[in-house]
Amino acid sequence: MSVIPSRVPVTVLTGFLGSGKTTLLNRILSEKHGKRIAVIENEFGEVGVDSELVIGAEEELFETNNGCICCTVRGDLIRILGQLMKRRDRFDYILIETTGMADPGPVAQTFFLDDELKNQFALDAIVTMVDAKHFEQHVDELNEPAEQVAFADLVLLNKTDLVDDAALARIEGRIRGINGTAKIHRTKNADVAIEKVLNVGAFDLNRALQVDEAFLEPEYPFEWGGVYQLAAGDYQLRTRGEHDHHAHDHDHDHGNGHDHEGHQHADLDIVVLPVAAANAEALAGAIEPAVRQFAEAATVVACHGALDPAPSHCAIDVSHPGADFRLKIAKGGAYALFCEHHPAEFGLQLVGQQAAAERRFASHHHEDDIRSIGISDPRPLDPVKLNQWFDYLLKTRGQDIFRMKGVLNVKGEDRRQVFHGVHMMFDAQPERPWGAAPRVNNLVFIGRGLDRAELEAGFESAVAK
Amino acid sequence: MSAKKSLSFALEPRAALTFDDYVVDCAWSPDAAQFAVAGGEGKVALVSVAPDALSLEVVGEHLLGTLALAWQPHGRRFASAGQDGAVAIWDAANVRELVRFRPGAGAAQALQYAPNGELLAVAAGKVVSLWSPGGEKIHAFAPAASTAVALAFDKPGIDIGVALNGEIAVHRIEKSRYETRRYKWPAPSLTVDFSGNGRFIASGMADGTLHFWNRSTGKDSQMRGYDGKVQLVGWSDSSRYLASCTGNEMVLWDFSGRGPEGTRPIVLSGHTDRVAGFAWQPGGEHLVSGGRDWRLALWRPGKAREPIDVQMTDSEITTVRWSPDGKRVAVGEKQGRLTVFELVAR
Repeated sequence: MSVIPSRVPVTVLTGFLGSGKTTLLNRILSEKHGKRIAVIENEFGEVGVDSELVIGAEEELFETNNGCICCTVRGDLIRILGQLMKRRDRFDYILIETTGMADPGPVAQTFFLDDELKNQFALDAIVTMVDAKHFEQHVDELNEPAEQVAFADLVLLNKTDLVDDAALARIEGRIRGINGTAKIHRTKNADVAIEKVLNVGAFDLNRALQVDEAFLEPEYPFEWGGVYQLAAGDYQLRTRGEHDHHAHDHDHDHGNGHDHEGHQHADLDIVVLPVAAANAEALAGAIEPAVRQFAEAATVVACHGALDPAPSHCAIDVSHPGADFRLKIAKGGAYALFCEHHPAEFGLQLVGQQAAAERRFASHHHEDDIRSIGISDPRPLDPVKLNQWFDYLLKTRGQDIFRMKGVLNVKGEDRRQVFHGVHMMFDAQPERPWGAAPRVNNLVFIGRGLDRAELEAGFESAVAK
Repeated sequence: MSAKKSLSFALEPRAALTFDDYVVDCAWSPDAAQFAVAGGEGKVALVSVAPDALSLEVVGEHLLGTLALAWQPHGRRFASAGQDGAVAIWDAANVRELVRFRPGAGAAQALQYAPNGELLAVAAGKVVSLWSPGGEKIHAFAPAASTAVALAFDKPGIDIGVALNGEIAVHRIEKSRYETRRYKWPAPSLTVDFSGNGRFIASGMADGTLHFWNRSTGKDSQMRGYDGKVQLVGWSDSSRYLASCTGNEMVLWDFSGRGPEGTRPIVLSGHTDRVAGFAWQPGGEHLVSGGRDWRLALWRPGKAREPIDVQMTDSEITTVRWSPDGKRVAVGEKQGRLTVFELVAR
C-alpha cells in the first residue's frame, strides 16, 4: 500500500565563532546543486539569503529524565522539524547550524530521544568547522572548541591559507589527538564540495567504522617513530629553516606560560636506537626498548649539540627555527628515531635521509583531556554481559563520553552488531553477516578523562567465556 | 411495532473535498456554516459547508507553514498564526485578509480568542500578547524563559493559561489588571486546558506525565504511566472526563465523585497507530479521535470502552473538530482530504 518514505538526512554544523560556518551556509544556499536544503540557524538573519529555506531557531534546551544533563534535547528543533514534516515537498537535506559556543550534544540527542523525529529524519553527521588561524589559541583557553571537535564526524579545517604547513600539521595532530575517527578536510574560505559535507552517512550503522589505527593502541610517550638505514658517518637532524616564521608565531601563541599538553615546547624528547633492520617489523620491535629509554632521565642537548645513538634519551632544544643537531653513527646499520611530538610540527628531519618505515602513536594525555580510545579485539562478546557493561558505563561515564561507536562480534550472532551513540543515547542494530571476513570487535570512545584501563577491563568483563 | 431499543450513534460522511496542502487544523464558524483550514505548507483556506457539498477558497498564506488557527466566537472573523512569526486576521464574510502583524520575534505557535470573542491571545516565541479583534495591540506580557507552545482561556475569559518549559503560567486579565500565577513542574509542558467548571487546569508534559492543579488549593496531581510525551489533553464539555493521549491509546480520568486520584483510568484502545487528534462533543459526551491508522473513531466513554463507530479515511488523519452545535465533525488528512461527518442516531 504505502511506501515507507526514506528519512531525510540531517547535518549538524558546529564551529567556533568566526570559523566560517556562515560562509559555508551562504555557499551551500547560493550554489546551484539542484538540491532542496532547509537550513535551521540560530543567529537568524546572519545568513544573507532571503529564502524560505532558512528557518530561525532559538536554541531552547529541554532537560528530560529528571534533569540529567546528558539527556538534554532541543525543544525548538522538535517543533521546527515537526513543522517541516508537514510539508509534502520534501527537503533533500536539512542542515542545522549551532551557535559558536554551543555543545552539539543536545542537537544530536534530539534525534535519538524523540520517536517522531527518529522516524522521519536521520542524523547524518556532525560537521565541525575549525578556524586554522585561531584554533590553537582557542583550544588552550576554552572547553568548547575541543568538545566540538570531539563530537565531529567530519572536521573542516578552514582558513588553511592563513597558516603554514607546519601549523596545519600541528593542528591536525591536535584534532587527531582529540578525535581519532573524524575525517578532516582542509578548506580555504569554506570552499568544499557540498557532497563532502551533506549526506556523508556518518551515523549510518551500515557503514564501516573508520578509525585511525593509532587509537587502538595504548598511549606511548612518543607520537612518532621511524627507521632509517644509515652508513657510518655524521648526520644532521634539523628543524625548519631560519626564514620560516613559524617558530615566532608559535612562541607568540604559547609564550605566556602556556604549555602544550604540559610540556615546554622548547624541548623535544627523542630517542635514537639501533634496530635489527630498516623495516616496519623492526620498528615495532623497537617500541618497547624506546619506552624504556623514555623513562630514563633525558640528556638536554642544546642547538648544534651532538646526539649519541647509544641508545639515549635526549631533550633537544627546538625553540629556534633551523635548530640543528649532529647525529654520530659509528657503525653502519638500521636505526630507529622516536619523537615525543610529530616531527612535522617542527619540520624536524634527518637531512638527506628518508625513513624506510614510520608510524604514528597515540600520545599521552592529561586526565581532563578529551581524547579517543579504541579497542580492537577478536574475542566474541557475551550479549548479556555486554549490555551490563554498557549500562554501567553509560550510567557512570555517560556525561564524559561524547561519542561512542563500534562494530561488535557477538557470540552466536552471524551478523556484525553495530552501535553508535551520543552521550548516554545510543542505537544498535545487526548489520551484514561476517561471512568469511575475520570477526573482530572495534570500539571507539571519545570523551573527557577516559581511562583506557577501565574501558579495557569493562570490555574484558563482556568477553564470552 | 418493534420493541423499544436504545439509540446507537455513528458518523456518516456527508461531503468531502481535497485541499492542496497538509491539513494542520480546522476551526468552525459559530453558525457551523463554514470552517477555516490551516495548511502545513502555509495555505489558509475557508470552506463553506452545504448539507451534501463543500466548497473551498484559499484566502492566503503563511510562509513556512501555518501553525495555529482560531475562529472568533460570535464573530465572522478568524485568525491564523505561522512559522513566519506573523498573525493574520481574516474576514470570512468578504473572504479577505483584514490585517497582518508580527507579535514578536519567533514563530507564532498558538492563538486563542477569549470566549466572548473580544480578545485574541497570541503566543509568539517567548511572548504572549493580547490583541483586539481588529488587530490592535492591547497588552504584551513579559517574555517567558522559554517558548510558549500552547494557550487556553478559562470559560469566563478571565484567565489565560500558557504552556511553557517547566511551568504553566496563568495570566489574569480581569479589568486590565495583569497578574500571573505559576504552576511549576520541571518538564516541558506541551498543552494546557481549563476544565469547564473552572476547578482545574490540566497539562500534558514531555516527560510522560499528565498534571492537573486544583485552582483553589494549588494542589498538583500527577498522573503517570504514559509511554511517551502527553501531547493531547482535553476536558469533556461537562468537566467529567479529562482525556489525554500518548501513542495509540487514549487515557481518560474520571472526575465524578471524589475524582481520579488513586483510581485507574479508562483506557480507550482501538487505534493501531498514533492518535493525531481527538475532540469532545460540545454539549455532549461523545469523543471522536483520528489517527495515523486512517481511522476515525467515535467513543462514548461512559458506555463502552470500544469505539461505537469506526470510519476509514483516505490517508493519515491529522485533525478532528466538532462543529459548535455538536452535530458534525470536520476531519483533515495529511494528503489534504477534508471530510465532514455527521453524527447520526440509528
